[in-house]
Amino acid sequence: MTISTSPVPLAAKATEDRAPVRQNRLWSWLIYIVGAVYFLVPLAATFYWSLRAEKGVFGLEAYRRLFVDANFLPAFSESIVNAVAAIFLSLLIIVPTAYWVTLRLPRLRAVVEFITLLPFVIPAVVLVFGLIRLYSRPPLLLTATYDSSRILLVCVYAALSFPYMFRSVDNGLRAMDVQALTEAAQSLGANWGTILFKVIFPNLRVALLSGALLTFAIVIGELTIALFMAQHTLGPYMANLTRSKVYEPSAMAIVAFAITWAAMGLIAYTSRERRQQ
Amino acid sequence: MSAAYLTLESVRKEFGAVLAVDTFNLDVAAGEFVSFLGPSGCGKTTTLRMVAGFEQPSSGTIRLGGKDITFAKPNERNIGMVFQSYALFPNMTVGQNVGFGLKVHGRPKHEIDTRVKEMLELIQLPNLEKRYPYQLSGGQQQRVALARALAIRPQVLLLDEPLSALDAKIRISLRAEIRAIQRELGITAIYVTHDQEEALSISDRIVVMNMGEIEQVGTPFEIYNFPKTQFVANFVGSVNNADAEVVDPTNGILSMDGVHLKTADVDMSNRMKGDKVKISIRPERFSFAAEPMKDNVVDCIIENITFLGSVVRIQISIGNTKFNMDTFNNPFLDLPAIGAMEKVMCSKEAVLVL
Amino acid sequence: MKSSLYPNPQSADPAVGGAKRPPQFHLGQWLGILPFFVFSGLFLIGPTLMLAYRSLEGLEGGLTLDNYRLLTSEAVMSAYGMSIRISLTTAILGGIFGFLIAWAISMGGLPRPLRSLTSTFSGVASNFAGVPLAAAYIFTLGRVGVVTALFKAFGVDLYKTGFSLYSFLGLTLVYLYFQIPLMVLVILPALDGLKREWREAAENLGSTPFQFWRYVALPVLMPSILGTMILLFGNSFGAHATAYALTGGLFNLATLLIGQQISGDVLHNPGLGYAVAMGMVIIMAFSIFIYSILQRRSERWLK
Repeated sequence: MTISTSPVPLAAKATEDRAPVRQNRLWSWLIYIVGAVYFLVPLAATFYWSLRAEKGVFGLEAYRRLFVDANFLPAFSESIVNAVAAIFLSLLIIVPTAYWVTLRLPRLRAVVEFITLLPFVIPAVVLVFGLIRLYSRPPLLLTATYDSSRILLVCVYAALSFPYMFRSVDNGLRAMDVQALTEAAQSLGANWGTILFKVIFPNLRVALLSGALLTFAIVIGELTIALFMAQHTLGPYMANLTRSKVYEPSAMAIVAFAITWAAMGLIAYTSRERRQQ
Repeated sequence: MSAAYLTLESVRKEFGAVLAVDTFNLDVAAGEFVSFLGPSGCGKTTTLRMVAGFEQPSSGTIRLGGKDITFAKPNERNIGMVFQSYALFPNMTVGQNVGFGLKVHGRPKHEIDTRVKEMLELIQLPNLEKRYPYQLSGGQQQRVALARALAIRPQVLLLDEPLSALDAKIRISLRAEIRAIQRELGITAIYVTHDQEEALSISDRIVVMNMGEIEQVGTPFEIYNFPKTQFVANFVGSVNNADAEVVDPTNGILSMDGVHLKTADVDMSNRMKGDKVKISIRPERFSFAAEPMKDNVVDCIIENITFLGSVVRIQISIGNTKFNMDTFNNPFLDLPAIGAMEKVMCSKEAVLVL
Repeated sequence: MKSSLYPNPQSADPAVGGAKRPPQFHLGQWLGILPFFVFSGLFLIGPTLMLAYRSLEGLEGGLTLDNYRLLTSEAVMSAYGMSIRISLTTAILGGIFGFLIAWAISMGGLPRPLRSLTSTFSGVASNFAGVPLAAAYIFTLGRVGVVTALFKAFGVDLYKTGFSLYSFLGLTLVYLYFQIPLMVLVILPALDGLKREWREAAENLGSTPFQFWRYVALPVLMPSILGTMILLFGNSFGAHATAYALTGGLFNLATLLIGQQISGDVLHNPGLGYAVAMGMVIIMAFSIFIYSILQRRSERWLK
């Protein structure tokens, strides 16, 4: 069989350096700048507004008023305590779960991953609806007092953090070859408690940190659930502020943005550090 | 032979402060199969990519069939390329992959269909037209990649370590297949590899590269038997290296650990008595002293004997230096005992001074 | 509990090959995983089941699907309709712009640091949703917002032209602030999965960049893009906090409707309220389901 090898005619060719690469870059910059404008303008406007609390002066008056507001610090600290509690609860539940699913019960992985998807399937407003109806009557009466409601809130936050926490821990476990480490520890005589706390947890530091920071960012400004459960956390406080004051909300928005940026930046920083090791 | 079909003239590539390829000169004849052979980072892939158009030379020219293609776009060169990772388009069937080049050139459907069938016959996978790449083995994917590159009737075929990702057995059968197809089509081919056995077995000529420079260009026979530099001698096949001193330049006599060796190396006439040189001798050039005698007959001590299957490797020491000596295995081989003193010999052509 | 893993050399059991597996503590394993299921059951599944059960309760008691039939009533339909409109719009727009930005920072030839900067910012912006975002937009495009004032300075009265931040258009604009970053974050790994060799092979075979995108890149990316857009749809559909903060809960949105129902029975039919909530869950579940199917398909090509 003869196979033709006469070439398909060459198209006319360019002799200068390749234009498409330059064109690409032009479009990229255009897209990026338009995007940057869209995202930065609201921040800039808010920041500008937050500096204009004192008539005719650029100052931090709005921030001062925010921090001295009688309700701010209590709400802020309450949110922080809730967040930390939720994080610990979540870690305590998720780490063993991820560990066991990876090592011993791989058949359950699909079920576990499905459950961790639930927070995406059940919107917060629907969830709080169900929570209130479920727990406001005996025998499961948990909404009677402020504190019991608060405990309920923290538990819910922990449950809502499961997707992020599980994914973080799962990735971390994958990266550290958990099977080999466990077997090595066991051959040296360690029990399960020791393995978990002395071997697994320390190697998961970066993963745990990023899961914790994500949870923190979610909990700190959460509005929907806290609102309907009549909790005095940062979310409802901020919503109130928007309706009652003029300048303080802008300062608060900037502060919220700064906190979120710090949390995300920390995650990016620590995960980069890890990769460089 | 006609004038060179593909010419690389003083091609040079810098990446910032790093010189990846330095003054590369090569003439490739039409229908020739040339391999670029060298360790990782020697510049062979960079040079190939400059021929393909994915890198631009910092200086120098590349000519194909008389035309200057140095700065032509990759999609205008009509050069086919086969990648190490196959690079088959995952969303297309085998048939659609193979026909892709013709499709983007706007060829009519019936022409594409005929050509695709032709190509699949060529690589002996005519029944896989409707399969998707993820359903194929590595070897099959690479053959499809080859068919895809050839479908557009390229003037040159470039292959970038196409077999590195495959199992040893498939490597051997596939490289022979690639060579057979290349011969049948008469297409000019450049093949990049770090596997010297691969290069030796299928090339018309080999370009041995190291650290961006060409060490030697020659046929496999020349490269193996007449290496021009230490690097080539060491990289292609195995070789024994030793230090020696020139005793008599005119007659080509060296002294290694007090033992006198004769060499046929032409460069010896440029040397002076007392010069320190490096000598290389291939293991298979040694044999136990027997008629007819060769130029160099020396005493040695048997250090170790390793049975490698078809070859028996005997480690001997001549003077203070250890040498490997390879001899073909056969059931009636009469091997000396370890520790025994024997006489070995080799010809003066076997002693390379590099 | 101590366990000896080194088999006694003298009693080498030929039936046991390879390393011995660590001893199985059946009770212990299940204990390790029990808290997770209990927690999920109490705080995720339980409440949802409660809603499901209640949604099937008729006004007189007994199980019925009447509530679901009532979902087609005026009040509910307009709320759902608006939610769906906004979600579709922000999913498509967010998908397109998010994709373009992700393309620009990964393959568009921009300086490398811009990519990690944009990544981090995307994480921040998608978490900025809720009250801070609403507040920021009020200060920007509200009646006395900075940009509104800027427009006035140029003689254009935005609000006279019918624009309002508290409308479909305004809400879309605000929602995009967390939709676009979500798209960027999720689609970046997919773009990374586009092997460089595919583009080179295509170029080598004679295709133009346009042909490469049309025949190779976009088809390969399509499951990812579509899947993520569906994720965006669900994200917008279930969003409550931002809309609440922006409109005080008085806008016609499905989530806000449920919020009102929680505070007081605005639908005058508790069962209907539950049905509305369950309706949302069904729509979200459906979208997540389609998303995971498309995810699996794209993983096959892009890994």
